[in-house]
Amino acid sequence: MDKINVLIVEDRPEESNTLAKVLKEHNYTIVGIARTHKEALDIFYSNPIDIAIIDVFLNGSPDGISFAETINSVSGKEKPFVFLTSSTDRKIFERAKLTHPFSYLIKPFNELEILYAIETALEKFYEQPDAFLEEDKSTVISSESLFIKKGKSLKKVHVDDIIYIEVEEKYCNIITEKEKFVILISLVKILELLDQTKFYRTHRNYIVNAQKITEIIPSDNLIILSGNHKATLSDTYKSIIKKVRTLR
Amino acid sequence: MNLKTLLLPVFFLVGTIVFSQESNSLSNFEKEFKARSNVFLGNTTFSKAQTFFFAKEWDSTLVYTTKALIGLKGNKKLSDYCYYLRAYSFKRKRLYAESEKEFGMISEEFDFNNRINVYLGEIALEQRQFKKAIKYFESTKDINTYEMAEIKKNDIEHNLGLCYLHLEKFDKAEYFLLKTIKSLEKEKDTIELVGSYGDVANLYYTQYKDDLAIPYFEKAYVLSKHTKRFDLKQNTALNMSVVEENRKKYVKSLTYRKEYEQWKDSLTDQNKIYEVAQLEKKFAIKEKQKEVSLLLAINKLKIAERNGFLYSAIILLLLLGTLFYSYRGKINRNKIITAQKETLNDLNDTKDKLFSIVSHDLRSSVNAIRTSNKKVTHSLETKDLEELNRLLEQNSAVVNGAYGLLDNLLHWALLQTKQSYFEITSMRLSAIVEQVAHNYRPLMEQKNVVFENRVLKSDIVEVDQESLKIVLRNLLDNAIKFSKQNGSIQVYTEQNSPMYCDLIVEDSGIGMDENTRTELMKSSKLLSKKKSENVLGTGLGLHLVKSMVVKNHGRFTIESQLGKGTKMIISLPKKSLNG
Repeated sequence: MDKINVLIVEDRPEESNTLAKVLKEHNYTIVGIARTHKEALDIFYSNPIDIAIIDVFLNGSPDGISFAETINSVSGKEKPFVFLTSSTDRKIFERAKLTHPFSYLIKPFNELEILYAIETALEKFYEQPDAFLEEDKSTVISSESLFIKKGKSLKKVHVDDIIYIEVEEKYCNIITEKEKFVILISLVKILELLDQTKFYRTHRNYIVNAQKITEIIPSDNLIILSGNHKATLSDTYKSIIKKVRTLR
Repeated sequence: MNLKTLLLPVFFLVGTIVFSQESNSLSNFEKEFKARSNVFLGNTTFSKAQTFFFAKEWDSTLVYTTKALIGLKGNKKLSDYCYYLRAYSFKRKRLYAESEKEFGMISEEFDFNNRINVYLGEIALEQRQFKKAIKYFESTKDINTYEMAEIKKNDIEHNLGLCYLHLEKFDKAEYFLLKTIKSLEKEKDTIELVGSYGDVANLYYTQYKDDLAIPYFEKAYVLSKHTKRFDLKQNTALNMSVVEENRKKYVKSLTYRKEYEQWKDSLTDQNKIYEVAQLEKKFAIKEKQKEVSLLLAINKLKIAERNGFLYSAIILLLLLGTLFYSYRGKINRNKIITAQKETLNDLNDTKDKLFSIVSHDLRSSVNAIRTSNKKVTHSLETKDLEELNRLLEQNSAVVNGAYGLLDNLLHWALLQTKQSYFEITSMRLSAIVEQVAHNYRPLMEQKNVVFENRVLKSDIVEVDQESLKIVLRNLLDNAIKFSKQNGSIQVYTEQNSPMYCDLIVEDSGIGMDENTRTELMKSSKLLSKKKSENVLGTGLGLHLVKSMVVKNHGRFTIESQLGKGTKMIISLPKKSLNG
């Protein structure tokens, strides 16, 4: 599992440091701390980012809002962001609201508020409301990653790393090259959220990443996956053979 | 020629007499007629026609009989009655041709055909169709049934006589006229007698039977003296004068002529008197007319005056109305202004009070830190780390308190100026409670207070995030403030209504009595000094809580038992309500 990459846009070092400290404590990666609008854009374009925390006011002007507008307008690179402000001033907030922040934080804030704001932003951005309602193992699924709640903080798994998924009632066992873990999501929901050109259902309880298939043995109802993992292929889902072109 | 002209006025007496005889209230014949026609009273138009007929309103009778005839088809008897009514009415209106036509429409079976013949005879006589008249009279003169009630035989005979006289069949005329005179003499009907004598006299006179004629002239003349009719007197006198003149007895003739003149004069006198009366009448009418026009003019003036008054009254009323309206408006405005002034004064007072208390509190806080800082430096110098730690903890508590106060103050100001951002969204209550409580953990640990957040993850309410946080901060702050050492604070929800979720912050602290509770609940005024001076507060916190809860469409209540603890309950609208 990977850490989640956070970009902090905050002009005041003491604020950004506390924020960074809290996030690091909860196993987030700080991709960068931008002091100005320009720096923020530089970091945003040169690094993989999962979420941005943006102060509305940068050096006295509401540059944070401009930056948020930029993030929103770059198609294909849209990311969730959280607004940070000390101002409860209505006018500024109304303008900030136009950028559709996925959540906001009002200074002073405590660590729980930061973590909650990040969770909320992800839920809203990927339109999976209340996905993080449960304490542990709850998940938000994007096209690239699974965001999985671990205690108070979040972890990330690249979708491409998944070899197969084994379903056990309410839970799903996710098997990657390196590890194996459990998330709390129903089979129907995970099928709906995963890219259907990449993931196929092979059995009542199995979802397989097509790219990880090394061999299909129809006679044994068996699929051999990379890393020598095995998944069952039931008769109902045998049509998968036609879809997988790399048969050997 | 002179004689012949004299005849005419005498002839027609008979016809009119016949009419006048009939104009009694209800004659025998009319009774009989009514009894027979009453069979048809079911027909309302006929019954009306009949009523008008007996009331002798001929025009109305004609109108209703026309209507009745239109509605009738085939009922021969009823139509006969209608035609009879019409014919009679026409006759009375002297429209003889019409009358004759209507009589002609009556069928043979009609009950009163003989009577009709009499009428037809009379009509013929009036139209000087003597032969025709004679035919009718002759056919009826000897009939004496109920039909003939009120029609005397001698009237018919008199009419016959007149007809024959006109036809110059003198012997027949003589027969009938003498017969009439006989019966009239029996009945002593003076006026008709005068006429009849005159007729007989003329009859003889035209035949140059002067010897026979003169006694009748004289008789008529003598009799006319006993009547009061000038025309009779005049005619008989004139006849006498002509007779005497023809006998060459000029002296007598002259006396008669004089008498005639006298009667004529008296007649003309009467006429003159009548003319004068007419003139006077005209004059009076003119006078009246003048008066009326004068009155009219006066009336016009009065109306004009009245209208003037009316308009001015209306204008005045309108003016008054607008005045009153504007006056009321002014009063209302004044009221509003006064009310506003009062609220402003109140607000200003609270603000002043708030200022003094807040500044007092802040001053003591800052002062505490100042003195504490001296101790800190002293401890640092003496390297008394334990003391230093204690002092720092104490300082941070003071600063936290002051911060809370300032935070409330800020939010209060924002609330007053309506500047704060406010957006109602669905909120996960448990997460918010957890976040807010996080800040109070150290404080609770210090007091060794057990905190429990039992709010369910599924409890979702529709509120504004920041104001909910302010509310929770204050409630937790209060709960901790009023908790005893080793107490407990619980936050949980109850579903007491389908629309609201009750969030309860319960402490096991010192509680409060009923008076304090009601005071807290009702007092919109800030800053009621609390009883226990140890735990001094501005009341700003609770005030904020109440305002914020109301702003979020919620309700706030307190339940408390002195010495046992307090429950602060906020009812917030559930997600399902708005979403």
